[in-house]
Amino acid sequence: MNIRKKPGGVLGIVAVTAALALSLSGCRGDSGGQGGGGSASSPGITDSAITLGITTPLSGATAGPGKCTVAGVSAYFGAANAAGGVKFGDGKTRTVNIKSYDDAYDPQKSLANFQQMVSDNVFAATAGLGTPTNRAFRDAAISQKVPQVLVMTGDPLFSDRKQSPWQLGFVPIYQNEGGAFGKLLAKSGAQHKVAILSQNDDYGKGYVAGFKEAIQGASNISVVGEQTYEATDTSVDAQLTQLASSGADVFFNAMSITPLTIAALQKAQQIGWKPSWFLPSNTSSPTAILEPGGAAAYPGIYSVSFAKAPQSPAFAKDPDVVKFLDELKKYGNYPDMPAFPHCMWSYMVGATLEKAFQNMKEPTRDSFMTALRDIKDLKAPLMLEGTSVNTTVDGQPAVSSVVVQKYNGKGYATAENFG
Amino acid sequence: MNAAAATARRPWVRILLAALAAIVLIVAPLALPAFANQTLVRIGVYAVAVLGLNIVMGYTGQVNLGQIFFVGLGAYVTAYGVNHGWNILLVFVAACAVAGVVGLLVALAAARLGGLAIAMVTIALPIVGVPLAKRLSEFTGGSQGISARFTDAPDWSGLDNDQWQFYIVLVVAAAAFLLARSLVRGKYGRAFAAVRENEAVAASMGISPYRTKVLAFTIASIFGGASGFLYLAAVQYTSPETLSFGHSISLLAAMVIGGAGSIAGSLLGGAYYVFVPQLTNAIDPNLTTVSQGALLLAVLFLLPGGLVSVPRVVRRLTRRTGAGRSTGRRSSAGPVRETSQQTAPAHRPVPDDALEGHEQTERQDGP
Repeated sequence: MNIRKKPGGVLGIVAVTAALALSLSGCRGDSGGQGGGGSASSPGITDSAITLGITTPLSGATAGPGKCTVAGVSAYFGAANAAGGVKFGDGKTRTVNIKSYDDAYDPQKSLANFQQMVSDNVFAATAGLGTPTNRAFRDAAISQKVPQVLVMTGDPLFSDRKQSPWQLGFVPIYQNEGGAFGKLLAKSGAQHKVAILSQNDDYGKGYVAGFKEAIQGASNISVVGEQTYEATDTSVDAQLTQLASSGADVFFNAMSITPLTIAALQKAQQIGWKPSWFLPSNTSSPTAILEPGGAAAYPGIYSVSFAKAPQSPAFAKDPDVVKFLDELKKYGNYPDMPAFPHCMWSYMVGATLEKAFQNMKEPTRDSFMTALRDIKDLKAPLMLEGTSVNTTVDGQPAVSSVVVQKYNGKGYATAENFG
Repeated sequence: MNAAAATARRPWVRILLAALAAIVLIVAPLALPAFANQTLVRIGVYAVAVLGLNIVMGYTGQVNLGQIFFVGLGAYVTAYGVNHGWNILLVFVAACAVAGVVGLLVALAAARLGGLAIAMVTIALPIVGVPLAKRLSEFTGGSQGISARFTDAPDWSGLDNDQWQFYIVLVVAAAAFLLARSLVRGKYGRAFAAVRENEAVAASMGISPYRTKVLAFTIASIFGGASGFLYLAAVQYTSPETLSFGHSISLLAAMVIGGAGSIAGSLLGGAYYVFVPQLTNAIDPNLTTVSQGALLLAVLFLLPGGLVSVPRVVRRLTRRTGAGRSTGRRSSAGPVRETSQQTAPAHRPVPDDALEGHEQTERQDGP
């Protein structure tokens, strides 16, 4: 019996030791890599290559836009690598490698992914989608001095240089969008009464704040009614009835929920209220929202954008769009027509990063941040006329200019004037 | 009998082994790279949450799909306390107490219901929790979440942040595991097991099934709150996404995979919860859901008793191959018992061992 049992015990010990050794050796590898950075160049950059990391939702409810954020950057740098690489400011030509990590929109996982990036020797985190997921590792990125740049969140915190020295947002903050419409309205010169409905959170408040700032001092605009709703509400009929009775001819609707937006478009028609609408960029899709909502009944539906829409017939033959779709297929592993604007946005992120790479004098993160914060009036591919990348203004994301667009029954066209 | 096993059962050997384990745990963070420490910290966070879930589900047999709500609650209380400058010990007590009180109130109502109705009530918790966290923005920071830093290593310690966090998590998690171990081995553990097996029998033995269920549920909530405190110590940020229902299911899966009704299984479950996303990310970040599902199925088919049953399965296999050579007595209880003793340094052989859980895996809390 003794003889028979001993192997079991020994086996257990061997198993535990093996497991321990495995995990330890795994860790050693990490630490070895970490030390390899050296004093001259930052981790993640060598004379021939640079590695960027993207933590973004690749599974779960937000996987669609999340996959786009990876596809766009991969497409841009895939093409650049195939053409020989990117010429950096220090005279060396490097290939750009992209490592993607799935965080499933879970803040805890995005932090874990960031820690993994640090141990994987990633030079900078970029293009990741999501406010909570980006916030989760913001502190860690600051304390470890790792750039977390051109991220896809409308949260102004990422563009505040004092609070976020190693961060920069890419997409316009909510205030930018609301402000662009407010300016157009104020410019019109005619008398307008505005009714406002907004989601009772940072999203809705941001839009309204931007709008109100833009119409401040414009004597021709008066806000005649203001209502809010909760993101969990299933109907806004009561608010709509109230706002309709104010007699407003312009309806500023800062709503982020697709079904609610459709229902609101239908309800206002039913009660005979037909103002001009403003809708945020993420709830203004012609096919998914405006058509089912019967938007053609209104004198005008306005929204904002800064990217050319590949679906739109107006841009079907645009050289930018053709090149983009081709590279997206070839290098971005994304064969379909992009369903989300994030594909175009992250393609522009690629162009912005390339510009920063061209200007960075030393292969360090410090030099990269300096170069990144010094980009003015860059016309990235796919950008609409009138918008540009400008990273020099404190408190503003890389793209703060948006163009107001008007729905023309099929898609959007740039609106020079209101009305 | 096996000499090694007999030696291992002696008290001084156990104390020695426990001390050794403690020393390894204390020294390890100093030697390991930052990422290993950060991973271990996250394992600790979820191990405590899974441990709480194990007490109410694994030991007491009551379905609880809302554990993540208590983790989130603990995290929010911690963030609130830290941002208002409370003493950190007070913050910790508050995180446990608030989660415990809420758990108690829910349990008082839920435990009156039987079987699936309890599951429905607990499903409601995270579903209500997310919009609640978004609305109560004075306390929770709304949908943008709330940050709180309190686990940066103080200068006098000379430690890195990841090492300091490791020690915080180690202290709380070790205390939680020791408390849970004593709990399930004592009279409450026997009461839990009795209620799980048959409520009528439990009642006939003078155990109130209602009070036992409420107790188990409340304790699970307290562990959830403690886990939330650790979550904030590790992540330093929480948002409504933290308490989304999907994570509750992941915790449940982690508990079953680690080993239901097993203290060591909770630790393995925590490790599973943390490692699998990292592993599937390394395989292909675009296929994480698929590969996680495949792993889950593989573990459940190959190891229905959870990861904690690995030593037993390995032993069974080696015994089968060794059976040709040796014709020794084949006792089912004996070998399980003895080898487990070797790998369970902290285990004190008490006569009423058998009641601590119906699974034999219970005795393999070592690895």
